[in-house]
Amino acid sequence: MATPPAPVPPVTANSAPTPAQSPFKAPPFSQPPSTAGTLKTEIPPASSSAAIAAGVAAVGAAAEDSSHVITVPSYSGWFSYDSISDTERRLLPEFFEGEVAAVSGSRGPEAYKYYRNTLVKRFRARPARRLTLTEARRGLIGDVGSVRRVFDFLEEWGLINHGAPPLGAKQGKDKREEATTSQSSLPAGPTTPKKLCVGCRSVCGSAYFTCEKADISICCRCFVRGNYRPGLTPADFKKVEISEDAKSDWTDKETLHLLEAVLHYGEDWKKVSEHVGSRSEKDCIARLIRLSFGEQFMGSKEQKMEFEIDDDVNNESRAEIPKRPRLTPLADASNPIMAQVAFLSAIVGSGVAAAAAQAAISAQSQVDMNDNQTDSPISSTKEEANDLLKEASTNAQVQLQKEQKDIEQSLSAIVDVQMKEIQDKISRFEQKELLMEKEREQLHHLRELLFVDQLAVVQHQRRPHAVAAENKEEEKPKPIITMG
Amino acid sequence: MKTVSLGAPRSSTVKFRMPTRDNLVPIRVDIEVDGQRYRDAFTWNPRDPDSEVITFAKRTAKELKLPATFVPQILQSIQGQLAEFRSYEGQEMQVKEKIMPLKIDLRVNNTTIRDQFLWDIGNLESDPEEFARTLCDDLNITDPEVGPAIAVCIREQLYERLLVRLFLL
Repeated sequence: MATPPAPVPPVTANSAPTPAQSPFKAPPFSQPPSTAGTLKTEIPPASSSAAIAAGVAAVGAAAEDSSHVITVPSYSGWFSYDSISDTERRLLPEFFEGEVAAVSGSRGPEAYKYYRNTLVKRFRARPARRLTLTEARRGLIGDVGSVRRVFDFLEEWGLINHGAPPLGAKQGKDKREEATTSQSSLPAGPTTPKKLCVGCRSVCGSAYFTCEKADISICCRCFVRGNYRPGLTPADFKKVEISEDAKSDWTDKETLHLLEAVLHYGEDWKKVSEHVGSRSEKDCIARLIRLSFGEQFMGSKEQKMEFEIDDDVNNESRAEIPKRPRLTPLADASNPIMAQVAFLSAIVGSGVAAAAAQAAISAQSQVDMNDNQTDSPISSTKEEANDLLKEASTNAQVQLQKEQKDIEQSLSAIVDVQMKEIQDKISRFEQKELLMEKEREQLHHLRELLFVDQLAVVQHQRRPHAVAAENKEEEKPKPIITMG
Repeated sequence: MKTVSLGAPRSSTVKFRMPTRDNLVPIRVDIEVDGQRYRDAFTWNPRDPDSEVITFAKRTAKELKLPATFVPQILQSIQGQLAEFRSYEGQEMQVKEKIMPLKIDLRVNNTTIRDQFLWDIGNLESDPEEFARTLCDDLNITDPEVGPAIAVCIREQLYERLLVRLFLL
């Protein structure tokens, strides 16, 4: 803003607002940025007599340069170097939630603080110059993705590059205009007309997905790819459509022209758009689909097909609710074609997607069958397809039976082997039993021998006793021989 | 101070990843078109969506005022390196303590850093970013571009050792 610095009123004079265009030069160093929030809110919204700077306040640079005036929009009044506010926690959950952030260190709140404070300080050191992302991330130690997200967040909320000229813009008047327009529009949130996806920071197209749990909204691409926090499931998201007809309503005349053109030219959208006049091809197609006739176009095709491809798909197509909150996105985005299909089906809604799938399958079967028959009625392809299906089913049954036989054979083989094993074991056990029997007999034999020996010994003991007793009576002085 | 876990398991098997606390890939870009040269090195999170690469390429070209022909080349270069990293990702690898010397020998703007130190390339909690930050703080380096260059240099060496170990297994 190209206004000369006003004479310095003390900051408390905010309550008496001058036309809010002139920024206040706050005394340097004595005003910590954290209190600036409260001061700013004292500027009553009534000062929006100057339509441009509704609620713009000046914050003295907490750093070296006291002659520079840093402007920060009032909706970013929560900013403080020392703490992290709820706004930041909400809009940049990657740094505050999940197990990665909980470990802290390089990915957690400290990292966020480091990035944020460094970026803000660097910008405020030279506020007239735009801080580019390249310059910023070259000067920050960390991965580019995280730095970019913090950078974009700060830029959106006016804490960075606020009032700085955009890339390649002229100085002076243009600068002020750019600055004022950026001031008056709040950053992305549920209130802005254009939807910014929280996941990839790009503008959402015709539809987007909101999640109440985390109060974020992502575009279709991010939803399909699963580019949201790990804590959320696809079921948490609701699809919201942005009506395009609000841009310019189709008059009856234009609609009439459109229908005529479609009748005459069929699917030649170039000619159709020419006929309609001021509408592009895409607009014509979109308008046609949105008309009630569009459903009839799809509906007639459905009647002719009688394939029972998927019960789920058929049920969905019969239910005439084109937009359902419950979607089953195909999360496998590795195949690029599948990713495209998933993306389109997410935008378009289940009914149309089902009809398109059926149409695609019928088209494929037509290609497979006969390329020559250009005017083959759809019923014949149906029959041929039925025949193919029957063939396929009989083949499948034959294979099933084969498999079952194989299984039975291998089962019996297994059983045989087991039996053999058991018999082997039995024979071995029998051998061992024989051996043991022999041993037992030997033991018996030995025991008997031992018994006999013991008897003999005892008898021998008795006899010398008897002999000794007789000898005792005859000769006493003879020593008694003890046998033991 | 970070807590170092002593008594960590001798050798464990993990899925392929950078042996650092954050699984970030070092990316180096060097493109020359019609006499104009763009050289850059930075760290990338392989879990970022592909749209991030496209946005980055466009934004960088715009901010550095490079001609539009650079954008697809930058895109290809980054995506190629990311694809290479992702191609290894399914494999299992042995991780155990292995202390190896890392070297830094680089010049950023007017600052030259030459250093050599030991690093445990099997420590999954190591943090090159913290190392770079501490080094710059301790040496009172004023140029902010030195830190990232050091971090990328360390990551590149770790990645190299990782691949060597992977292929020797």
